[in-house]
Amino acid sequence: MNCDLARELAAGYVLGALDPSEERAVHDHLASCKEPHPEYPELGSVVPALAEAVELVQPPASLKARVMAAAAADLAARRSGAAPAAPAVPAPPVAPGESVVPFPSAEEREARRSRGSWVLRIAAVLAIVALGASNAYLLTRPTPQDPFAVAVARVLEVARQPGSATAILKGEEGGPSGIAAVAADGSVVMAMENLGATTGTEVYEAWVIAPGGDPVPIGGFQVGADGVALATMTGTPAESGVTLALTREAGPGATTPTLPIVSAGPALSPPPEA
Amino acid sequence: MSDTGEMGLRQPSPADAADRDALGRVADGQLEALESLYDRYHVMAYSIALRITNDSALAEDVVQEAFLGAWRNAARYIEGRGSVKTWLLSIVHHRAVDSTRRRRPTTELPERDAPPPAALTLPDIWPEVSGRLDGEAVRSALGTLSDVQREAIELAYFGGLTQQEIAARTGTPLGTVKSRMRLGLLAMRHALLGDGGGPELGDQAGWADR
Repeated sequence: MNCDLARELAAGYVLGALDPSEERAVHDHLASCKEPHPEYPELGSVVPALAEAVELVQPPASLKARVMAAAAADLAARRSGAAPAAPAVPAPPVAPGESVVPFPSAEEREARRSRGSWVLRIAAVLAIVALGASNAYLLTRPTPQDPFAVAVARVLEVARQPGSATAILKGEEGGPSGIAAVAADGSVVMAMENLGATTGTEVYEAWVIAPGGDPVPIGGFQVGADGVALATMTGTPAESGVTLALTREAGPGATTPTLPIVSAGPALSPPPEA
Repeated sequence: MSDTGEMGLRQPSPADAADRDALGRVADGQLEALESLYDRYHVMAYSIALRITNDSALAEDVVQEAFLGAWRNAARYIEGRGSVKTWLLSIVHHRAVDSTRRRRPTTELPERDAPPPAALTLPDIWPEVSGRLDGEAVRSALGTLSDVQREAIELAYFGGLTQQEIAARTGTPLGTVKSRMRLGLLAMRHALLGDGGGPELGDQAGWADR
């Protein structure tokens, strides 16, 4: 690239409108060019102002908990000198063909949660659990008007106890998701958001799936218009390594799940203290 | 790139100094410092991400990734090259554009992990005009642009389109798109700073609009 072309591409560069190959060429040219290129700061200085033209929209309060949890997880990984723990922990496999209900295969579940944010979120929870004292940071700061943040804080209290396991439950993009903690006594406390409201006798039923085993119901709950649930279920003891799943049922007492699974995730023990 | 005169005029505002202090503590791994930056800029960050992605779930992911990126790369921030606010919001902008381009499978994504050369870390005009630079001032500055200039800039900055894509979308020759973006930015600069907008560039041959 020569200086004339670099000048011609300046506006596109500062607006982020170049192809990656052009962008690299501009980088390389400006890093080595002896000639001044005042057009870059001159045009680029205007770009931050464009952001001010945007119409302001308040994000959901739960976003702050997500951001801070992700940073806490990163900090814990840094302090332990290890990469975030989550990717190393595979989902427990469900033996194909053994389950009467065609639950999603391990591959399907893997694909469903392949996006980075899932890894981030479970790393966050594991890290918060591992952090010990530092987790008081998040626990003391739920936003009172955000019921999901309050529910998450309650789950994290259980997750902090020795012998507990934690699961991040994910559904469709933007759909039902949340976290659950399996206490040492096998009871499960679950915080969910973005659930559709139940009507009549409808319930959300939680299931425990041991590796190679059939889904076992552990309890149900109903959900109001806010789509948020905080439920403790003691129907069947759960333990680390199981998958927790949620289905929507016509009434309480279902013995086999009605598909689809609205949200699911594996329950994992926290990594050893950093 | 030579330093231009405007670099010498740069006076950090009190908010900017507080942000730098917070970012220094972020680099030391202090969560509370990240929280203070989040509290100050999460509405702007989310609003930009939402405008670009047009998808609230995606916008939340973008904001989370951007603040995590700032958390991890706070030490890379170069003092004197722009405000912390600008640095942070540019991370949000990059992430949001990347996420919209990812939805267009044919588009190659730029490598954002490599830091740009120091010469490319752009200064900004916040300090000089901080007292009057608000949404109203910027919208009014945008109003001084011709419709086609504004369209080109908005398709690039908020639409995440490349200049080639803008040319194709608007049925306009690529050279014209480039000059609309450039003249539009200069007109905004003039409106915001009232400094004449850099006549040595404005008079260059071959840049005429339309």
